[in-house]
Amino acid sequence: MRAAKDVAVIRPLGKKRTTPLPYLLLIPTMVFLIAFTFYPLVNCIRLTFYATDQIGRPGAFVGLRIWKKVLTSDEFHRSIKNTLEYASCIGVGTFSLAMILAFMSTRAVKGSKVYQTMFALPIALASAPIAAIMTYIFSKYGIFNALTGGTTVWLSGKTLFPTVVFIVIWANCGSSFIYLLVGFRNVPIELLECADLDGAKPLTKFFKIYLPIASPQVFFVIFLNILSAFKSFAMIRILVGTDDSPLAVLILKLYNYAFVRERYETGCVYALILSLVIFLVSRIQFVVEKKVVYYQ
Amino acid sequence: MSKVTIKHSTKIKIGVAIKIIIGLIFISPIFIGLIFSFVPDEELYALPTVRTVVDNLTLRNYAKVFKTLPIFSYIKTSLVMCAIVIVVQITVSSLSAYAFAFFKFRGRNLLFTLVLIAMMVPGQVVTITNFLTIRRLGLLNTYLGLTIISFAGGRSLFMFRQSYMSLPREMKEAATVDGCSDLRYLWQFAIPLSLPSIASISIMLFIGEFNAYLWPLLVSRKPQMYTIQIGMAQMIGSDAIPTYGRMMAVAMLSLIIPIIVFLIGEDYLIAGMTRGAIKG
Repeated sequence: MRAAKDVAVIRPLGKKRTTPLPYLLLIPTMVFLIAFTFYPLVNCIRLTFYATDQIGRPGAFVGLRIWKKVLTSDEFHRSIKNTLEYASCIGVGTFSLAMILAFMSTRAVKGSKVYQTMFALPIALASAPIAAIMTYIFSKYGIFNALTGGTTVWLSGKTLFPTVVFIVIWANCGSSFIYLLVGFRNVPIELLECADLDGAKPLTKFFKIYLPIASPQVFFVIFLNILSAFKSFAMIRILVGTDDSPLAVLILKLYNYAFVRERYETGCVYALILSLVIFLVSRIQFVVEKKVVYYQ
Repeated sequence: MSKVTIKHSTKIKIGVAIKIIIGLIFISPIFIGLIFSFVPDEELYALPTVRTVVDNLTLRNYAKVFKTLPIFSYIKTSLVMCAIVIVVQITVSSLSAYAFAFFKFRGRNLLFTLVLIAMMVPGQVVTITNFLTIRRLGLLNTYLGLTIISFAGGRSLFMFRQSYMSLPREMKEAATVDGCSDLRYLWQFAIPLSLPSIASISIMLFIGEFNAYLWPLLVSRKPQMYTIQIGMAQMIGSDAIPTYGRMMAVAMLSLIIPIIVFLIGEDYLIAGMTRGAIKG
């Protein structure tokens, strides 16, 4: 494992000592990690084998019945499809927007901090107030219709999915912008000056210089957005909420089963499938990274 | 020669001006929210024009909001929750990171691997069972219930560990020779020298916790314990006829604190985000 190797490289200070101090220092972290990460994870797995009651106590052992019920249901297949569609739209959209914003800000000049701060600002904004503002902007009598002269209720029907995707991309792209900016700023000035002397066009510089040098960040950002789309809950729950839309993604199913219908065991199945999806995508990230990313 | 430089610098200035305009358009939803928080609800049931806004500016939405909703109680709950998480998580992580950075002990690699695995478990996945635990312990509608799942944090532990390991090794050796105990070294040198990391962690935790939605939604069931985000979310789609003006007012009240924190701590936040997140 990579983790174990990491540890081995660090040479701790001094000789091996026999004080109990390090163990004492580690107690709080370990207690809380066990209580609120490992125990609930194991418990989550266990609950999927039982019929639970309204307060989540396991009742009769039912084996794999719940798994079978979920895995063979139409709504599960739809939610997987929805999740992948949603995540790829968010992934591509956020990445493209952040790329444009970061490429606009590659050079640090007087005043560049102002627009950098504006591009990064959505990092600080919570989903609920953004959702509130956006429901007004995209409502029937909202700003968007006032500017475009339409009468569409954007957050419903066919336009719901693209509108929500648009809002989430806007809300999410701040952190991607920051990572890409760090990557682009790593490009040595001399290299750019050489390129200028040779008469390189901006697009050539982008593809031949910026993109390769920032490849670790570019790669990181692509996966960051896909993974955070799997976990993004607040915006979907506030703007959509119901189970029967193209935005009925895994995490919304998890919430609705466990906390609206109090079917905890079914919620746990969705939770485990979600974590499996997240785990698989992180493995893909890890494997692909080794092949394509260029480190200086 | 000088002519060229002048031309060049005006070009840059124009570029900056254009980018600032793009930036303003980019964050225009915030300004739209701000402007319409001063327009009465009744005016927003028809397409707005410039006249609608200019003729009707009023503070009525804010007055109504303060009268009908316990906004200050919401904000207080959010702030207390943030404060508890920041103080406890920083204390817990700074101590544990010290063990990993400065000691060799049996089980070290195993424990460190455990922390790494814990960091890989997505929080949403353990939400259901954590909620059941918190409810069984009777911690719904309490600050402890809101915060206890965030007492340990792999990420802050990592940042502390990195910060400690960047301290010169000789310093610790010299201190030990001079009879400085391990705990005293932590308190007098390692922690004060990690202040930039502490600032980064605090700002990241503040923005994350202040803006948290799922967990407070589950734990805060009584309006007295609503955080501002829950109070805000409850307003959206709850009325048959939406009160957009008032919604914008609450949105502004819930955005203002994180925006200020972001503007003050931007550099620390960015340092925290980028440090150690990406190799290379």
